[in-house]
Amino acid sequence: MASVARSSALLKQVAAQQSVAANGLRVAAFHTTSRKSLLPPPPQRIEGTVNDPVEVPPPSPSHGSYHWTFDRVVAAGLIPLTVAPFAAGSLNPTMDAVLAATILIHSHTGFGNIIVDYVPSKRVPKARKVFTWGLNAATVLVGLALYEFETTDVGLTETIKRVWKA
Amino acid sequence: MAALRSSSARVFAAASRPAFRPVVAARGMANLADGATQSQQASSEQSPKLKTFQIYRWNPDTPTEKPRMQSYTLDLNKTGPMVLDALVRIKNELDPTLTFRRSCREGICGSCAMNINGTNTLACLCRIPADNSAEMKIYPLPHTYVVKDLVPDLTLFYKQYKSIKPYLQRDTPSPDGKEYRQSKADRKKLDGLYECILCACCSTSCPSYWWNSEEYLGPAILLQSYRWLADSRDERTAERKDALNNSMSLYRCHTILNCTRTCPKGLNPGLAIANIKKELAF
Repeated sequence: MASVARSSALLKQVAAQQSVAANGLRVAAFHTTSRKSLLPPPPQRIEGTVNDPVEVPPPSPSHGSYHWTFDRVVAAGLIPLTVAPFAAGSLNPTMDAVLAATILIHSHTGFGNIIVDYVPSKRVPKARKVFTWGLNAATVLVGLALYEFETTDVGLTETIKRVWKA
Repeated sequence: MAALRSSSARVFAAASRPAFRPVVAARGMANLADGATQSQQASSEQSPKLKTFQIYRWNPDTPTEKPRMQSYTLDLNKTGPMVLDALVRIKNELDPTLTFRRSCREGICGSCAMNINGTNTLACLCRIPADNSAEMKIYPLPHTYVVKDLVPDLTLFYKQYKSIKPYLQRDTPSPDGKEYRQSKADRKKLDGLYECILCACCSTSCPSYWWNSEEYLGPAILLQSYRWLADSRDERTAERKDALNNSMSLYRCHTILNCTRTCPKGLNPGLAIANIKKELAF
């Protein structure tokens, strides 16, 4: 008996839902946060048949293993370069210039990695070109600025020393 | 709505069943199916342990309809301990349209990989937490193209697996004409690599793979790649390394280690990728 009552309640609810849908009230969206379609996911594209392997890109160590190793060497090299002037207690303009140059290279490759990650040349080749050349321009600009700073002003380490009021 | 439906279905089932027939006989496959639990069954009739499962639903037959979460309520006393048991029971008894992959139900086939409560795991190895009554949320693997409900399209994943040539490549015959022998130390190098079942839990948890899945191989495939690089019997190590030595295939790994955290088999794809990078360096 109870089951009969329950089923009629169920039917009522179904009918109510249908009438709500008919009245044009939308069901809540699946996403609770707003979505900005900056880079909407493209439709899936499978090249070749399902039995073909994905194409293997040609080897290019300068973008692969050499690049990775170079990144690590520069990053590891920055540690002694940063500590050395403070540990030695003396300022050498050559060492300061080397530090500035290493930081420049480090940030250039770092930003380059971000561009490779987030601006894929396969999906947005034009934007990739713009970003890569933008980064190159920025690096040249910063390089010139650092050169000016090193040659005509007090230099990087001395600036940090003066600003640093711990 | 679904809760109502499930409970009414249960009431219907009880009403249509003859009184003298044992309850066990009417149960589905995913239920605890031995007579010893019959007394427990009787007690559970008084205190049902209800648990709600919210499951991602999307039907390719109505592609314009947005994906939605549908909730199902089960009595845990009548359900097996794992999430897969609950899914099978939902499909058997509540909603036969629910679609998911499953096969071995013991963590060997990798079919039932899905995102359960925010973690990629195998439904068959994931216990239903019985201590709290919070809803469980079940989604397909993240950032995959969904075929239906909880079924992701793994075509690209398998094509990438094929591209690393996951088989022994060797030209020189073994000295005695029998099998290729390995020292115990060499065999030990493959431990933690050969156990991978390619469930794609790690690859689909990797942000780098989300952004660049077309070109980056992802942790699962790179783990398999290392499995063949580390194999002492394989003679194409140089070619295998060359195939990875570009900006995208391997080096999009940024050691995020979601792969290692999520692996339902307890493997360490992050370590395998680090080893490949180390072998490729200089």
